Amino acid sequence: MERKDAAYFKKLAHNLMFDLSEEEAEDIVQEFETLTRQLALLEAIDTTGVEEMIYPFEEETAFLREDEISHVISQKEALVNAPKAKQGHFVVPRVVK
Amino acid sequence: MTIQEMRKTEGLNRQFAETAYEKAQASQKVLNAVVTLIDPKEQLDALEDQPQGLLYGVPVVLKDNVCTQGIRTTASSRILDNYVPIYNAHIVDKLKAAGAVILAKASMDELAMGGTNLTAATGPVHNPYDPSRMAGGSSGGSAALVAAKIVPLAIGSDTGDSVRKPASFCGVVGMKPTYGRISRYGIIPYASSLDHVGYFTRSVEDAAIALEVLAGRDDRDMTSSFRPVPHYREALNKDIRGKKVAVLKNVTDAIDQPETMALFQKVLEDLKKKGAEIVEVTLDEKLLKAMLPTYYLIANCEATANHSNLDGIRFGVQQQGDTAEEIMIHSRTAGFGSLIRKRFVIGSYGLFVENQEKLFRQAQRVRRLIVDEVKRVLDEADVLIAPASRCGAPKLDDVSRDQLTDGYLIAENFMVLGNFTGYPSCTVPMGMVEGMPVGVNLTAKAFDEGNLLNLCLAIEEGTGLKDAGKEMAE
Repeated sequence: MERKDAAYFKKLAHNLMFDLSEEEAEDIVQEFETLTRQLALLEAIDTTGVEEMIYPFEEETAFLREDEISHVISQKEALVNAPKAKQGHFVVPRVVK
Repeated sequence: MTIQEMRKTEGLNRQFAETAYEKAQASQKVLNAVVTLIDPKEQLDALEDQPQGLLYGVPVVLKDNVCTQGIRTTASSRILDNYVPIYNAHIVDKLKAAGAVILAKASMDELAMGGTNLTAATGPVHNPYDPSRMAGGSSGGSAALVAAKIVPLAIGSDTGDSVRKPASFCGVVGMKPTYGRISRYGIIPYASSLDHVGYFTRSVEDAAIALEVLAGRDDRDMTSSFRPVPHYREALNKDIRGKKVAVLKNVTDAIDQPETMALFQKVLEDLKKKGAEIVEVTLDEKLLKAMLPTYYLIANCEATANHSNLDGIRFGVQQQGDTAEEIMIHSRTAGFGSLIRKRFVIGSYGLFVENQEKLFRQAQRVRRLIVDEVKRVLDEADVLIAPASRCGAPKLDDVSRDQLTDGYLIAENFMVLGNFTGYPSCTVPMGMVEGMPVGVNLTAKAFDEGNLLNLCLAIEEGTGLKDAGKEMAE
């Protein structure tokens, strides 16, 4: 795996909608070196013809149910934890000035 | 007192919860295990008219990622500091229906992503046996409050070993049942394919009672099992003659602590004396060394996706910004701790289109190979067994482990096998090493909690560590 620098991780973090300090980004560069060596152990495993395991069990637990209303929450409840809400909507700064 | 002892009381004994509440409050200056205390008075009043369930009047603590209607639930993250759920997790309704009194929301590693409980927004949780040491994580607050004999039952969650490792460090029983056995509806997620609800008690019998209360189908968790819930407590049986116990040799070989191994040998000898057959098994070493990176990738990739909803707009603590995007960036930067943001970066890296096949998908394929390997061994045995940790709880400032040694890659992280497979896995105390507790871990076949509990009970009888703990000085 090619070496990534702090700027690379800062950009990646920004795309995830948060920022990293210089120190945090440098930490990731260091940690990435250990991780790269650990990932080499993973990449060394021959998985030809092996199917991905998404969940532990493949037995059916989902089901079709009657289309009946249950566990309803009100609009007021849905917005109760929103820092800013008005007339049934989440409020954010104006997009069009 | 254990749950079983409390259950001997006729009617409602309000003192159990009231005393526990006072003790939890008083323990804060030493343990720092509580995020939110809940005055039990209203719940006790309501219980007066309620029929006696299995946990009637029993004080219980919840990890702070369990949603509680009207009670702040932070997952020990700054971004959720003001979050008050509008609904209960399924298990909260179950606990209440059984008569439990919820006393506190316990500290945890932020968003359950850690194994130390050093990353909680409210600061580290301290071990009752030695406050200069960690309680373990991520369910450290729950483990510490049971170990300090404040409550007989505390709920945790286990994605890698987050119940079973702190149980070892705090000298209590830590149970992670089969994936799908307990509904996760209303638990703030970490990595959905690995997340389990688990819990701590001070006796195996109590662990059986708790499982009976918590287990069962819930339509709101699509991975919840339809299998009926047995009477685990009634079915408890110390007769383990003929049971086959498979020692995980890869783990014992990687442990460099003779005192831990001496305790483990004693456990094995006792099981043998009771009629169990002890065999040694070796899993493919190459697969076991890949176990931790496999876990790390799957867990972080799933977590990155799960927590994209924490944006400070729909809920959570909002920071200022001139645009919606700025609000999100500032809220997430200030709201997540450093470790969490770093893990999200790694998770996102693994999900990039160019990396997904060789990293995330490769990890999912290796997971299947590891699970097949565990299945192969458990086809021939009732349980897998190994020490739950190399030694007692580390000091709070000890982060010096070399992350490429077998001791780290295998001995300190093998319990993730229980999360990959979804098999039931339980840690029980086995004794003390340099004044700190160390546990032994057992893993059984899927939905074979009965067999697992029986073997744990036999171990508990041998060690004499039923209801062990370390009470706080008055």
